[in-house]
Amino acid sequence: MLSPERRPSMAERRPSFFSFTQNPSPLVVPHLAGIEDPLPATTPDKVDVLIAGTGMVESVLAAALAWQGSNVLHIDKNDYYGDTSATLTVDQIKRWVNEVNEGSVSCYKNAKLYVSTLIGSGKYSSRDFGIDLSPKILFAKSDLLSILIKSRVHQYLEFQSLSNFHTYENDCFEKLTNTKQEIFTDQNLPLMTKRNLMKFIKFVLNWEAQTEIWQPYAERTMSDFLVEKFKLEKPQVFELIFSIGLCYDLNVKVPEALQRIRRYLTSFDVYGPFPALCSKYGGPGELSQGFCRSAAVGGATYKLNEKLVSFNPTTKVATFQDGSKVEVSEKVIISPTQAPKDSKHVPQQQHQVHRLTCIVENPCTEWFNEGESAAMVVFPPGSLKSGNKEVVQAFILGAGSEICPEGTIVWYLSTTEQGPRAEMDIDAALEAMEMALLRESSSGLENDEEIVQLTGNGHTIVNSVKLGQSFKEYVPRERLQFLFKLYYTQYTSTPPFGVVNSSFFDVNQDLEKKYIPGASDNGVIYTTMPSAEISYDEVVTAAKVLYEKIVGSDDDFFDLDFEDEDEIQASGVANAEQFENAIDDDDDVNMEGSGEFVGEMEI
Amino acid sequence: MLQFKLVLLGDSSVGKSSIVHRFVKDTFDELRESTIGAAFLSQSITIHPNDGNETKDVVIKFEIWDTAGQERYKSLAPMYYRNANAALVVYDITQEDSLQKARNWVDELKNKVGDDDLVIYLLGNKVDLCQETPSTETSPDSNEGGDEEQKVRAISTEEAKQYAQEQGLLFREVSAKTGEGVKEIFQDIGEKLYDLKKDEILSKQNRQIGGGNNGQVDINLQRPSTNDPTSCCS
Repeated sequence: MLSPERRPSMAERRPSFFSFTQNPSPLVVPHLAGIEDPLPATTPDKVDVLIAGTGMVESVLAAALAWQGSNVLHIDKNDYYGDTSATLTVDQIKRWVNEVNEGSVSCYKNAKLYVSTLIGSGKYSSRDFGIDLSPKILFAKSDLLSILIKSRVHQYLEFQSLSNFHTYENDCFEKLTNTKQEIFTDQNLPLMTKRNLMKFIKFVLNWEAQTEIWQPYAERTMSDFLVEKFKLEKPQVFELIFSIGLCYDLNVKVPEALQRIRRYLTSFDVYGPFPALCSKYGGPGELSQGFCRSAAVGGATYKLNEKLVSFNPTTKVATFQDGSKVEVSEKVIISPTQAPKDSKHVPQQQHQVHRLTCIVENPCTEWFNEGESAAMVVFPPGSLKSGNKEVVQAFILGAGSEICPEGTIVWYLSTTEQGPRAEMDIDAALEAMEMALLRESSSGLENDEEIVQLTGNGHTIVNSVKLGQSFKEYVPRERLQFLFKLYYTQYTSTPPFGVVNSSFFDVNQDLEKKYIPGASDNGVIYTTMPSAEISYDEVVTAAKVLYEKIVGSDDDFFDLDFEDEDEIQASGVANAEQFENAIDDDDDVNMEGSGEFVGEMEI
Repeated sequence: MLQFKLVLLGDSSVGKSSIVHRFVKDTFDELRESTIGAAFLSQSITIHPNDGNETKDVVIKFEIWDTAGQERYKSLAPMYYRNANAALVVYDITQEDSLQKARNWVDELKNKVGDDDLVIYLLGNKVDLCQETPSTETSPDSNEGGDEEQKVRAISTEEAKQYAQEQGLLFREVSAKTGEGVKEIFQDIGEKLYDLKKDEILSKQNRQIGGGNNGQVDINLQRPSTNDPTSCCS
């Protein structure tokens, strides 16, 4: 529905520029869009929307608004893209840690950093590494993936598959059995358990319609539901809730857990035998750059190193630290970390996310499936010797992801545990990973044959048998070489997967009453900090809600369609047949048997 | 077919995008005021390298990345430079300070792009504005009937050429407006890149024939033909 105050779409505002048909068909962007459109030579003195902060949500929002036709000025106080979702070099991390501890980066506290002398002056350089401040994985069936394709931002990116999910239980790392085939062939599973698991998987794919099954449990925990209704045993319950569902504790409610488990299952086999993807060269930091570039192509103006000092809601003028000013006709959107001094409206960031990022000098290939360089390790509640109540998640990326050099690996650990316990839990998880790795590297090659397994359809999977062995009795003879350790606490207003509620952004209702005298941020809307959620799932929701606040409706959120080469030729554009000049469409790749492959891909 | 990434650099209004526009579309837009942005464009050329007495045709596809205006406030992302094989650094021969700015861009490039094989092409654009008119006095008369103003050349060919030689850059003066020299730019780059990369290319081809690729499964997956990534899901 088009609300009366809805802003005109891009097509309506630039009728001479775009060929378009009637609503509601999507806006067709000619293949040379952007190259036809001369940008103004100077800084705009008036824009529709000002966005401060180039994090994931802000960047998606900027691209959506730019393609909708809004005139966007997108700034960041830092000299890099990404803000709270940045991918940083080791030197940039050093600066960032200093700023956090000086108190000049809000929403982060307690940053502790160790950097080995091997980085910088030794065999590695700072730029060999790309460390994400809030790493994420991309499910193969998700709203963000659709938008990556629709906006063609995926063309700026490279993706790799992530198929290995390990669950840590009884001192060993079990690889997840997640396909029907694996469940069938798993010799450790009793027949009855297999049947019950199959029954559950069938149910969860279409759970919403089957209210008679889950409704009685709607207010109870997921583990009660799985145990009572599907007669599943603890190992399966934990795998389903924590590795497949990537939930955070045992209190998770049934509908939420079902939704999360289904997310994994429906993503499986969309592009191959894996549920999730990771971007190369960095996660959200890389995607943010892609969306910012897309926004720039759509006409947005970019200015790094630009700090917002204040916004006056009466004159609608925003003032920057360098003295320049811009008049904002619509809205000012600010990331909580980029709030002007004397801000009084920044939402309370009451949830803590504790993160530990390590770079280890060890290829750790035993964690990965062959051809991959990513894995998830989940430590369910009670699995660690710290007696953890919340999950610890460890996202592992190897050199193939191009975020670290050959022979090294990056471990991203995080937990939703609050307070001082969190660090104990993370340390315990780190120790478990360290022990497993040391045992692997110190033992000989006598078990080589066991490590390589042939799957039913003939390809090899390196499945480390040793990772699945308990190391209770194991005493390491050496210590692992850590190149880098970064511990920090991030604050956010969003609980993990607490899908952003639109009322959160309602600071602009009854404007007059909300203004606080002397505040430099009267009349602005704040975005949310990234939550602990390891997937990108909240990003599009948050960007869409903000988009609606600005445009009046989210009907045309990324409602665009790029013209393809064939269409150009069909419409008879001069010279089209002489030149291969469509926006690159990757039409030379092979569709055959795509389900078989794991590794690098283009989506 | 070989594919290379090519990036554009240079100050605003030197005509970076006009050059690409001329190459890709073979047109020139008089109204272009300043740098414009496109996602990225692709255009293929054929080169005829001579490998051991035998001439063959090699198709080279350029993936051309425009700055999309992000260079204006020094806000180009690392993504822009990453894995670039070639760069066009453009200056305007009628703007005195534009060669100095091009030098800064060359330094920036060498700093940002790790690849030693990066081919940098220094381009003096807008030769059409001061052709065959070395004397400033006579230029208005010789342009009778034209509505284009003649301009004084501010940067000599020699100066730019010398700098390019010192830095090991390819160099050419061109006109995006008339098309002079534009096709040759891409032909030069194609041949230079083929020369630099041919050993790498050949060894890669051999490896693919042999089947082994260091255990890394390197496969392109086709995205679904519709915009819905889930539509091929069974």
